[in-house]
Amino acid sequence: MTAPRSTPSTPRRPRASATRRTVLGAGAGAAATAGLTACSGFSTDASGGTPADPDELTMITWASEAEVPAFEKLADDFAAAGGPRVRLQVVPYSQVLTAVDTALRTDSPPDLFRVSYTDVAAYREQGVLADLPGASDLEPAFLPAFWSAVTDERGTFGVPHHTDTSMVLVDDEAVAAAGLTLPGSLERAWTWEEFADVLRRVQPTRADTYPVAVNWQNAGAFRWLNWVDQAGGRLLTQDLDGVVEDDPGTLKALSFTRDLFRQGLTPPNASTRGQAASDLFLNRTVALCFAGDFLLAEIESGGFGYSATFLPRDVNASADLGGNALVAVEAGDKRDAALDFLAFCAQAEQMGDFCAAATVLPTRSDVDAASLDWKVRPDLMELYVQQAEAIRAPLVEQVVVPSFSAINVQLRDRLEEAFLGSADDRAALRDITEGVRSVVRA
Amino acid sequence: MRRWLTSYALLAPALVLFGLFVLYPLVQAVRISMTDSTGIGEARFTGLDNYARMVGDPVFWRAAGNTVLLALVSVPTSVAAGFGLALLLRDRLPARGLFRALFLAPYVLSGVVVAMAGRWIFDQEVGVVDRTLTQLGLPAPDWQSSGAAAAVSVFVVLFWARTGLVVVLYLSALQGVDRDVLEAAELDGASRRQRVRYVTWPLLRPTTFFVVVLMVVEVFQTFDVVRVMTGGGPAGATEILVTYAYAQGFQARAEGYGSAIGVVVFSVVLLATVAAWWAQRGSEEVA
Repeated sequence: MTAPRSTPSTPRRPRASATRRTVLGAGAGAAATAGLTACSGFSTDASGGTPADPDELTMITWASEAEVPAFEKLADDFAAAGGPRVRLQVVPYSQVLTAVDTALRTDSPPDLFRVSYTDVAAYREQGVLADLPGASDLEPAFLPAFWSAVTDERGTFGVPHHTDTSMVLVDDEAVAAAGLTLPGSLERAWTWEEFADVLRRVQPTRADTYPVAVNWQNAGAFRWLNWVDQAGGRLLTQDLDGVVEDDPGTLKALSFTRDLFRQGLTPPNASTRGQAASDLFLNRTVALCFAGDFLLAEIESGGFGYSATFLPRDVNASADLGGNALVAVEAGDKRDAALDFLAFCAQAEQMGDFCAAATVLPTRSDVDAASLDWKVRPDLMELYVQQAEAIRAPLVEQVVVPSFSAINVQLRDRLEEAFLGSADDRAALRDITEGVRSVVRA
Repeated sequence: MRRWLTSYALLAPALVLFGLFVLYPLVQAVRISMTDSTGIGEARFTGLDNYARMVGDPVFWRAAGNTVLLALVSVPTSVAAGFGLALLLRDRLPARGLFRALFLAPYVLSGVVVAMAGRWIFDQEVGVVDRTLTQLGLPAPDWQSSGAAAAVSVFVVLFWARTGLVVVLYLSALQGVDRDVLEAAELDGASRRQRVRYVTWPLLRPTTFFVVVLMVVEVFQTFDVVRVMTGGGPAGATEILVTYAYAQGFQARAEGYGSAIGVVVFSVVLLATVAAWWAQRGSEEVA
């Protein structure tokens, strides 16, 4: 017979109301619960973490400091007009696609999200986005290039909320030193030849300074297509199913932009994976930089005088399609309310207020940009409005194809090899077209 | 039976965490690698297509070559430097505790912080390295636009960030080396160098094995430093497998292909570890 494994216990002391272990355990549990409850990832809940209303709409977005209050005002005005509250979930720009994709995949989609024009088609193709009812009533008010970015033969999947585009920012000291006169209208924009001459006249102020940096870094490789379109070329075929071989315009654009590196007119580290052009302008490594209007607030912090002029032109004047759409999720619980919010944001008054506060450009033709109360450099914003008129449909249709994310990565990698490599221009162009062809989906 | 239950009860939290955060994602990664997933919507099963694509993808092979080269250069360098510094810290240096902390500091810092510091130090326009070289009348490398220079800058920052851990591991292992054995070798006339070469180094073989495996795994997992310092550029000169997998999975929306690259990285590290373990075990048995 084996002894029992446990011996009769000695009389126990009455249990204390709260032992140290209990307190520690409870504390840890409470802390964990509070932490998990309060935590919504690394994002910022712009609504201040108030308890969720079942009718409330959720919207995932990224936003600059100026854009957060602009979005909050839209949400407040929508609620005041009788709509449900819109809870903003603000995430860093680099995380927004991951945040949206994760939410979609885990069957907890947001009702709305903000997406760049170049990414809309990828979601549209997968049937993620809700078709905007009454789109035909809204369409006439919008500039065609932007409307086409959210529309296909099946419907209109979102509203073009705003646009931004690039111009050439010029350090005032460099302008004065080189005796430059900046073109004051789109029609008088420098030709490529004039622009090259300007760059040669801008004398470096230090041994480590250069005339210009172009904004094709940070997922901006597609902006190189401005040059292609300016030269009358195309990257993708007319049916958007393939790549144009040995296109003369594309070759001319490649040759011109490679010359910027070959002739030492741009820093070698300003290639597509290099340092942002606006950073190089801010630390005055370059005298001119290509920059979008949304960067003006940041560049103002540089504390030096600068002006803006139009992108150079060749056969065409052409500018990049920047900006973002607002979209509603088809599978969202409150799809109809979300679509109502989109329609609200697409109204002229709301769009004008948002653009003025966020230093971005309207996509409606009936919003008088000249009358907007721009918060930053209103003098330059008027020029950006003119520049946006050069956003051309032939270029827009190429950058809103469903596989554009992959095309943009190929452009980034192949262009950098071209800019920093020594292959002849035709061979470099073949590498680019070969890379793009490998990811274009018919 | 009860002991068995107790063992598993104690192991349960670790097993649950391992299953949830390691095993499950691993199985999912393998599953996704056999689809054409873009990260959105339904994915189609494509079998081994992504792996076949890898075979013909020159960028993948370039990234693989860069990763192997980085491992071949950085692992022996870190191990040798770490071992040497550990010997110095054990025997000779005053304020050893301070130096230990200093060497370990980069390892415990966020990789992004280390990389940001590296990026500014090696900036070819305003970086302190180029400024100093220029003032000394020496040529200043183009750290961001020359492939070789960019690779060197990444290697230096990784070396700085990783070697501290090697130093600490060797220092703790050196505490376990029997001083009687070293004294016996000294009495037999072995010089200091011979004692290190023929006594200390062989006795630290298990630690060296662990350090080498750890460093190889670290190299194959390296992401933050390369992503922040060079983004894989210039012209792919510093592209390594993990940054390429990230670019494919999250930037090019080829999640299936990115996962396939991740699975290959995992398999290579696993096989290398098993091979090294067998080699280590074999050499111990011979000894």
